[in-house]
Amino acid sequence: MIQRSSNRELWYSLFAVLMLTMAYVFMVSMLNGIPAASDFFGHMIGIVGFVLMLMTETLYSLRKRSRSARWGRMADWLDFHIFTGLVGPYLVLLHSSWKFNGLAGVVMLLTVIIVVSGFVGRYIYTAVPRTADGVEVEASQVEAFIRQADQELQRWLETRPPEIRQQVQMLAQPGQSSGNALWDLLLRPLDELNERIRWWSIRSQLDAQTRQQISQLEKLLRQRQNLNRQIRTLAVARRLMSLWHTVHIPIGMALFTAAFIHIIAAIYYATLLR
Amino acid sequence: MKSSRFGCLSATGLITALLTLFVIGGFSIARGGVLFNPGELNDQKGSEPLQGVYSHAEIAGNCGACHTAFWTGEHMAERCLACHDTLKTNPQDFHKIMLAQSGAINCTRCHTDHRGAEAALTILDMKEFPHLEAGQFALSSHQRHSDGATFLCEDCHGADLQIFQPITCVECHMELDPAYLQAHQADFGEDCLACHDGVETYGAAFDHNRLEFSLLQGHSEAGCQDCHAGALSLADLQATPQTCAACHLEDDAHAGQLGQDCAQCHAPTTWEEASFDHSLAAFPLSGRHSEVACEDCHKDKVFKGAPQDCFSCHAEQDKHSGQFGQDCAACHTTEGWEGAAFDHSLSAFPLTGAHLNVGCEDCHREGIYKGTAQECVACHIEDDEHDGQFGNDCAQCHTPDTWKDAQFDHSLAAFKLTGAHVNLACKQCHVNEVFKGTPQACASCHSEPAYHLGLFTSDCSACHNTNAWLPAAYDARHRFPLNHGDGGNTCQTCHPSSLRSYTCYGCHEHNPAKIESEHREEGIDNFKDCVRCHPTGREEEGGDD
Repeated sequence: MIQRSSNRELWYSLFAVLMLTMAYVFMVSMLNGIPAASDFFGHMIGIVGFVLMLMTETLYSLRKRSRSARWGRMADWLDFHIFTGLVGPYLVLLHSSWKFNGLAGVVMLLTVIIVVSGFVGRYIYTAVPRTADGVEVEASQVEAFIRQADQELQRWLETRPPEIRQQVQMLAQPGQSSGNALWDLLLRPLDELNERIRWWSIRSQLDAQTRQQISQLEKLLRQRQNLNRQIRTLAVARRLMSLWHTVHIPIGMALFTAAFIHIIAAIYYATLLR
Repeated sequence: MKSSRFGCLSATGLITALLTLFVIGGFSIARGGVLFNPGELNDQKGSEPLQGVYSHAEIAGNCGACHTAFWTGEHMAERCLACHDTLKTNPQDFHKIMLAQSGAINCTRCHTDHRGAEAALTILDMKEFPHLEAGQFALSSHQRHSDGATFLCEDCHGADLQIFQPITCVECHMELDPAYLQAHQADFGEDCLACHDGVETYGAAFDHNRLEFSLLQGHSEAGCQDCHAGALSLADLQATPQTCAACHLEDDAHAGQLGQDCAQCHAPTTWEEASFDHSLAAFPLSGRHSEVACEDCHKDKVFKGAPQDCFSCHAEQDKHSGQFGQDCAACHTTEGWEGAAFDHSLSAFPLTGAHLNVGCEDCHREGIYKGTAQECVACHIEDDEHDGQFGNDCAQCHTPDTWKDAQFDHSLAAFKLTGAHVNLACKQCHVNEVFKGTPQACASCHSEPAYHLGLFTSDCSACHNTNAWLPAAYDARHRFPLNHGDGGNTCQTCHPSSLRSYTCYGCHEHNPAKIESEHREEGIDNFKDCVRCHPTGREEEGGDD
């Protein structure tokens, strides 16, 4: 099957952010103030955050270029990439002691930009159909998957009474397209929300037995719906993905260049200078 | 979608990185270190410019004005003092005191910047402020008042932190313990800081026993002023002399005879329980001496110059009435009078043999030692078994080992012992141990044998010598030649049974049968008395008959 739908990396990230927030609040209460970026705690979270960001920048990229599967599934590396890409910047944000002037402020701004850019990239990324390992799937393969799903649906419907078939066919009707693939891509969340509301509306009119039988089809119908949407927006999604890379990578390089200079300056001014 | 062959190291990525580098570099060149400024500098202007500027904000971007490169060897505090040079010169400024004390100062311990234009430059934490270095008084014991309220700077300094009135201590502490403080003030004055430094070095937790001079036993009961009279500062207290005599000169019962170090004998407990180590004195105590009281020897507590000779104490105990002089130790030890060990070998009469085992009184009767007669008879006259026959010098024959085994030198006597006499026991001649007047004639011991038939005198030595009775050497008149035959014959050769008879058959040539045969042939029948015909023993002498 294609297209991953799990958001576990986001949940892990959220958990880590919450833990770090608790530790930070504890330190605030201990120090009776905001931990300075230059004290031990501030330096520690800054160093760890930067290391995580450095891992974000390098590890997933290296894995993509390593064609060997022995380094793990690409999808797992992407999860880790997203996790470090969220937790690292959050630590850097705490390291800033909420002061954003000078080069440190520029680095923080670039960090925020790169994180936002990452979210955008992930949004576009999920619009491109992929295997469970994260490998992109060609349009012809997607169409084959859709046909396979339609056949499964027909086989299921043939053994069902007419009223059930009627209800399912209502549910299986494709969502409304704006006619513009870019809009379809950008408004995907709204489209998914509309779908959910339509499904809820139709299901609420069904009796319990029919709902139970239809629930067996729900996953198949959702996948079919998603594949139809992806095939509609595949071309534009790929163009956007390419464009996003063109923007995201230079921002990342600017960020790390500035970050390295910030680190060198911090070592020079805060450590070597007496 | 295809990604770059080198990932983030794409052309656009590298160009962006270089651009970022140029932008930051260019900005740094144009605006100095502003880009690296971690926060806005203080903008509160001083009343007078320091090195041409009124506030830190005016030197923003000139990081080197405050921050020194590590390779210069310069400390940041030196950059602070380069502008704030009055801190080094103003005698009222506690910074000057801190500098004078430590030689270096860490400004950032209390002062910081980059916290905003209006932010305070001084972050003064009572717990962190080096009050001991700054004011020579630590605040470790002045964190809270007795009612629990936190100490504030103005509680002691008033409005001006540079000013401190010493009476402030008295005002507060008088409320806490007026009785003690009044007494303490009377003793040591009102300048508390002259002694107290706030770390309880000389405060409530002061323990005199941690000092070189511990207050033990009796000393612990003394008042401070007893020793530290007139002390008004820490230096005065520390200068208090630690010698015993400094305080106890008037208590010296020895009037200085034993020096000034009382602790050699006395403990701080009491004067009475002195424990003088007499082994360190010229007269170490041993044996019974160690049991006697000091006053037994040191009359009237005179210790110095006490005589060390025995007689100075023991003259009255001398049982010898001075016969042995005054050095009792020559014979006696300090363990007791008994068991004296007189070395008689050093005397004129060394003891040897059986003399070693006799009691002193056996010779020295009635305790008289000096002038004791050394002659043997002085003691042994009753033992003389010779009844004085040999005089008084027993040692001529006897040794001190035993009376027996006497060795008389008979060669000195009138009767020299020779020959067989030498080996004879004394008693064989001296019957009944009568030595004197023993007759010297042979006959007094040797009766004439029957063999002699009274033919000889009592002078045995005429023929015999003392070696043996035989052979005898008869040298008197003999009718028959003694050199008959080969000579060398004994009397018994011719007189085998009696000197009044003789026989010629004692020689091998005189066989009776042969003599008879030869005489018969010659027609001689009377041949029994050989000498009658052969008076000299020759054969031809008988031919005339």
